[in-house]
Parts: sequence; C-alpha cells; structure tokens
Amino acid sequence: MIGESRIFSTLRSIIQKSEADQTEAIFIGSYSGLTRYANSYIHQNVAESNATIFFRTVIDGRVGVATTNSFKRNDLLRTLNNSLMIVKHQPPNPDFKGFPRPCKYKKVKTFFEPTVAYTPRQRAEVVRKICREADKFKLTVAGAFSTSSSELAVINSNGVAAYQPLTTAGINLVAMSDNSSGFASGLSRRVVKIPFESITKTAIQKCLDSRNPVDLEPGKYDVILEPEAIAEIMNWLTYIGFGAKPFLEKTSFLSRNIGKKVMGTQISIYDDGADSSGLAAPFDFEGVAKKKVYIVKKGIANSPVYDSLYAAKGKTRSTGHALMPGSGEGPMAGNIFIAPGKKSKASLIAGVKDGILVTRFHYINGLLNTPKALMTGMTRDGTFKIKNGKIVGAVKNLRFTESITKAFSRVGGVSKETRLVANWWDDFGCCSSPTIMIKRFNFSGKTEF
Amino acid sequence: MKEKLKKIIHHLKTKKVAYGDARYVFNTNQSIAVKGQTVEAISQSDDMGIGIRVIVDGCWGFAATSSLADEDLIKTANLAVKIARASALTKKVEVQLAKVKPYIDNYCTKYKEDPFLTPVDEKLELLFKITDTLRVNKAVKLAEANMNFFRTKKIFCSTEGACIEQEIVESGGGYTATAVAGGEVQKRSYPASHRGDYACAGYEYIRQMGLLENAERVADEAAALLKAPDCPATDTTVIITGSQMALQVHESCGHPAELDRVLGTEISLAGGSFMTLDKLGSFRYGSPIVNIVIDSTAEGGLGSFGYDDEGIKASRSHVIKEGIIVGYLTSRETAPVIKSVSNGCMRADGWNSIPLIRMTNLNLEPGEWEYDDLIADTKDGILLDTNKSWSIDDKRLNFQFGTEIAWQIKSGKIGQMYKNPVYTGMTPEFWNNCDAICNKKHWHIWGIPSCGKGEPKQTAHVAHGTSPARFNNVTVGVSK
Repeated sequence: MIGESRIFSTLRSIIQKSEADQTEAIFIGSYSGLTRYANSYIHQNVAESNATIFFRTVIDGRVGVATTNSFKRNDLLRTLNNSLMIVKHQPPNPDFKGFPRPCKYKKVKTFFEPTVAYTPRQRAEVVRKICREADKFKLTVAGAFSTSSSELAVINSNGVAAYQPLTTAGINLVAMSDNSSGFASGLSRRVVKIPFESITKTAIQKCLDSRNPVDLEPGKYDVILEPEAIAEIMNWLTYIGFGAKPFLEKTSFLSRNIGKKVMGTQISIYDDGADSSGLAAPFDFEGVAKKKVYIVKKGIANSPVYDSLYAAKGKTRSTGHALMPGSGEGPMAGNIFIAPGKKSKASLIAGVKDGILVTRFHYINGLLNTPKALMTGMTRDGTFKIKNGKIVGAVKNLRFTESITKAFSRVGGVSKETRLVANWWDDFGCCSSPTIMIKRFNFSGKTEF
Repeated sequence: MKEKLKKIIHHLKTKKVAYGDARYVFNTNQSIAVKGQTVEAISQSDDMGIGIRVIVDGCWGFAATSSLADEDLIKTANLAVKIARASALTKKVEVQLAKVKPYIDNYCTKYKEDPFLTPVDEKLELLFKITDTLRVNKAVKLAEANMNFFRTKKIFCSTEGACIEQEIVESGGGYTATAVAGGEVQKRSYPASHRGDYACAGYEYIRQMGLLENAERVADEAAALLKAPDCPATDTTVIITGSQMALQVHESCGHPAELDRVLGTEISLAGGSFMTLDKLGSFRYGSPIVNIVIDSTAEGGLGSFGYDDEGIKASRSHVIKEGIIVGYLTSRETAPVIKSVSNGCMRADGWNSIPLIRMTNLNLEPGEWEYDDLIADTKDGILLDTNKSWSIDDKRLNFQFGTEIAWQIKSGKIGQMYKNPVYTGMTPEFWNNCDAICNKKHWHIWGIPSCGKGEPKQTAHVAHGTSPARFNNVTVGVSK
C-alpha cells in the first residue's frame, strides 16, 4: 500500500506541471493473491503487486488519456506528456463539459486489516479443508479463493481529491462426482466473514443431489433462479441496458420506456455504491459520489446511470458511475441490488407445481436483441426438477433463450433472503440478489450432461 | 533488463527451486475509438513488470511486481517460493515438466509500418471518413469505428538456461453501423464485429483492410435489416462465412481442445471439455474434410510468435485430422499426460499473469470449393455472416450463435435478406454435417483480441484461419 498522502502529494506535483486546461489523475493500486484448485489440489497459486495511473487532460474541449503502471516521477511526467500529445491531435468533443468539481461522499469502511494480512498458507489451509471434506463423499472440488487489497484515488485540477482503500475476499467452489456437480460461492470485504464451512456443505450437497440427472425436453417451465443465476443475468443487463450509453443510443430496454412498466411490480433493481452490505465503493473513477439509483422501481423503468460525459449528453447530472478513462463503454452500474421480497426461498419452491431450480448459468450472452433484453445461456452445477413443491431429482443442463424483461414480468415470487455474488467489477462491485421464481421460463435447448 | 532477470534466476537457484522462470513484459497499447464526428476514446497505455514462476516442493508458485527495484524483485522471488510451499499443502503429485531445449534467441514480428509512428491525425482522418460514409444512410443513427495497436516486448529467462527476447506488434480495427427505427435496432460491422479484425502486422494491415471501400455497403445493409423479415425457424443447410466461421472454430474446437480444460483444471469457471482423453485418436469430431491445426508459425496471424511463455518454439500440428481428434493444445506440464511434447500454447496476457494453455492460430484448413460454386450447389439454405452473439455449454457441446445478417439461398442463388438469425447445434453432430469448405482463395486468418480465460481473468490475442463452409441439418431461428 502506498497510502493516501504519498499518492496525493506525488500526483498533485505532477498535475501542477500540466499545461492542460484541466488535468485529472487516477491511481488504482492492487495487491492480490489467488489460490486456484482443481481435482482437489492447488494447481495455480499467484500474487500480484501493481499500480496503474491514468492521466486525463483537456485543452479546448479535447480530451486525451494516457496510462502507466510506474509510480516513478519521470514515468508519470512522460505519461502526462503522452496524454497532452494525444489531446493536440484531435478535434474538440462538444459533449465534454469539464471534469467534476469536489463533492462529499459517504464515508464507508471498506478496508479490513485481517483480509490484508491473510497469507498464501492460510488460503491453502482453507482449500485443504474443502478438499478433505469433499474426500469424505468421494467427490473432487475445484474453484478459486482470492484475497486482495486495493487503493483508489482520484485527483483533479478542479480540487477533487478522493481516496478509498478496499479489501475483498471471494471464493467459488464446484464439487463434482462422475455425473454431477454443485456450486456455491462467498464474497465479502472481510475474509473472516466468509462462511467457508457452509459454502463447502452447500456445494457438496448440490453435487450429491444432482447425481444421475435425467433428460428433460426443452419447453416453458416455472423456474426458481438462485442468486448466482440472477447475478449473471444482471451482469449482462448492466452492460446492455443500465448505462446511459445504450440508453441514449436507443439500444437499451430502458430507452423510450422511462416511466413505463417493463417488469413485474415485485422487481426493483437499484445501484448503491455506498451501501456497505454490498462491496461498497463510495465514489466513481471521476471522484463523483455514487448516488443510489433505482434503475427499475416496482417494475417501472426509472433511470440509467450516468458519468459526467453522458450526463452532459443527457442534460442531467452524473450519478457517479464513471469507469476508468479510455474504456469507451460509458458509465456502468456495478453495485447492483435487487430488492428482497417477503417469501422464504423454501416457500417459493413449495409453490412450484412442475418446474426447475437453477443454481447458476453459464456463458450467457445478451447481444441477441438488446432493446428486448433477449438473452441465451446454459444452466450448470445443479439443475433440479421440482414436482408438487418438492425437489425430486436432477435434470441434465438446459439452454434458455428469453427476453429478460418479459421473463421478469412473469415473477411468481421474490425471496426475502439475499446473497452477495461477485460480478464483472472485481473489487469495485457485486450483485446482491434474492432467489426469484419466474413463470413459464423458456428453455430452448438441452445438452448431454 | 536481461541482467535483472539473470539475477532473479541466480537467486532462485540459491533457493534450490526445482524450476524457475522470470518474464519481463512491457506492453504498449494505443486505442482510438470514434463515434460519428466525436472522439469517443483515445488513449495510450504502458504496462510493465516482471512475473516469476517456480516449482518448489513439487508445486507451482507465482508472484509478479510492477516495481523493477532489485530489492522488490528479490522479495517477489521469495514470495513465489513461499506460495509454492503453501500449494504443497494439498499436493497429490509432483509437477513434472517435459524436457525441452533451452533456447537463446530473438524474435520480432515482421511489419512494414510501425503503427505507433503513424500520426494520430492520419488514423483519425480515416476513422472519421468511415463514420461520415456510414452516416450518409439516414437510417444509421450510430456510426462507430476503432483502431487498436499493441507492442509487446518481453524477455524470458529460465533456470534451465533459456533466454528469449521477443517483440510482437499487432494492428487492427473495424467499424459498426447501427440502424435504429422505432424499437428496432440492427447492426452491421466490417470486417468483423466486436472491435474488428487484427493481425501481427504494422499499420500496413489497416491500409489493406478495405475499410472505407466497404462502408457504404455496410451502412445500407444495416438499414435494410430494419425492414427485413425475421430469419425463419427451420432445420436447413447453412453456409457460414466471414468472422462467424472463425468464432465457430474458436468456441467449438479451440476451447475444448485445450488440454488443461480436458484435465479439469479450468472447470470452476470456463468449464471442462467433451474432448476427453479416451477420444484421442479415435473420436470422429467432424466429417473427413474437416482438418484443424494449431499453428503459431502462420505469418501475420494474431496468435503468431517466436516462442510461447514457457520458451517453446512456435510450431504447427493437427488437432483434428480428416475429422478425427488427433491432438490437443498443450504445455510442458500437460503434454506428458498424452505422451507428447508441448506444442507451445502457454501464454500469459502480461507480466502479472501466469501462462495458461491458450489458442494461438487455430485454423480450419481450406477445402476445395470455389465460393460461387458452393452457393450454386446449394438448393435450399441460409447464408450466415458476422457474429452477433455466442453461447456454449461448459463442455462445449450445445452452442447457440446469432449473426448480424442472413440471406435465403434458393436454387443456388442468394435471395431474401433475414434479420435476427440464430442457429444452434451439438458440436460433433454439427461438424460431422460439414460437407464443403471453400478453398485457399477464400481463406483468411481472423484475429480476435479478446479471448477470456482463467482466474484472475486473462485476455488472449488469438486467431483462426477459415473459409466459408457448408453444414447440413442445422436448426436455425430458435430465438422465439
């Protein structure tokens, strides 16, 4: 860890040298370890120490970005100059209205020393316990267990100076027999809060329960989608629909639908980067405080998320959802929450007469028809048949092809229990999801296992 | 830098590691994206550091740092050793590496025009000309174009005596016209979707892509798709062209042929493979005309190099020969499992990543058909072009692809355009129904700079040489 004062003093001294109208520097430090296991032994075990520094400069509305991962003064100055060189060779961006000004952001504790101090040996000991537990059932296990600490700092010539240290711990686990598998995962800013034993038990039990799966013909079935399955769908909705870029480009399901009913009334989806029950990260990569944004509220399309560039385009204010500069992807919602319902997960299952429980989806793709949020994907690691309210056995994996907005308009219930699931944003986001029951979910194909 | 690496290797030897390597990588990337007449993103990034990989107590350890200070490098080497010792807590078998010749060599991509010396103004001028041309068609509401250039300098040294210096230069780009009307959105891309087409080459690759020459057609096709009927749902013959054929090879042959997936070490994230070891040498993956090679020597291919990140020299070998599985993509650790030697597929996406088995250039060998003859020979079918969506199960059997565009083929002629085409199948059944592949004249190596794998996630630059091919009894139009 380099620390707030050294990061700020170094970057301030570089920014002071800038010839640009406005200059911004972003520091992302990462110190991570990841232990990967398969066939019940550790086969990859890695550590990384890195720091990436972005400079964004503006002259007459022209914006340039350059990046380095050296914190040496000379390299920082060279990178700043690279950014200025880029600026000079391009036309002004009429949508760019300047860097954000300082704002207050919520103080959230996101850094926990025991996670920082966690050693490769401690990670290996956890994996050893998991392997031994699986051995008892003659199963093998595979997965990854990571612990990391990071630093995010944003500073600009308008006076923004935001710093947040973060820690993250996450584990995923697949238990496997000859013809079945079961999945479970855990995620927290605090490694000591991850319930390794219950995660192991869940994966093992799912694997045992999904032995000898039977063939099931594709068709429309009532489904129980567990949080990992929902989180994978949310990843794609984030990419194709929740940001201001697809919204303004009219390719999002939100485009033309603000204020209209796009999902069932039981569905509320919001982004809240300051909620410490998720993986909080209280400001974005421009140093703007993350606002709580309801994307869908009680089934009604409410708002996409914005950064400063797209806020100017949309004639509104940034909601604090900028990505790293130069990504070109526009703002993204990374801290997704789906509001819990009132029923227990058990009662949702009990209410299904003839249906399927999905633990997890694999390889979803949401580019089929983005205004309709049409997606396809496969089930994996625990797909079960439900008959008269009870899980009666496992089925071979199925392919779904569905408009998610239509599917989420046929919600039969939302569980009161929620779980945090890792998403595409690593240390900077996650998805908190309940289990959701959806009626007549369309399975369009099947596979052999 | 070599001296620093040699010091690390010396230090690892004093630690009595069974094996060790140190890899310095300096990546430079220039990325330019425009939308309409606005620069959407323009950036230049430098990224460098050293990754150290060791075998201690029969297990792997890896640590990487962006600090090149001598004391930090020694600390990182010691951390790699410590991590390997931790790995040994769950050891089942000792890691054994296939013996190799330790090379001392240099390699550099052949290129004519250094893409980092081509003025940014010139690049922007071409991109803006493209987006201007796309926007001439008023149905096109969004015109996006991009270019990306990469330079990777790396030095690999091992405790076995290897010392290899390489410089890889890559260039590419593409564009997309998005037509919007009412709630309907249709896209057409050139030369491929998802950021275009890439090669190990300099800026001369951009000049010969025909970018501007195809812009008007691409825009008109995007606009025409708005009024086209949906692709019918039917079981029929399909001819797959362009970059879609490359993605078909990538997903249904490339990934399942990675031996680490076959052996289960990627199972928790990317999944396993139906191409299990018992199938080697006997399983009919495809029809007898299907030949697929892994070839890191293919000139200009985005997966070409001198040596992989274990110091294995670039090579060419069959994965599928006359339809039968005859090989895998391997590493020094996995090749002995099939009593073979590594075919050099271990690559890391940077200094901070461990090498994994990755595709290089995985090519479908050309067949004998002329493209016009293939169309003329097809009585009833659908022509599919340019990938839009992709999904495949975790053993790489059941796949579903969407393409940007399709056309009816009726009595040997291309007819009605269709929108929203989707096709699905099971991998071996699909490839066994391949009855025609176009010849070398229609063959192109498509570069894909975005192949994801591993935890932490890595992004590899891979390529696929393909030509249009025909498949019978394919289920089309399953999205409804």
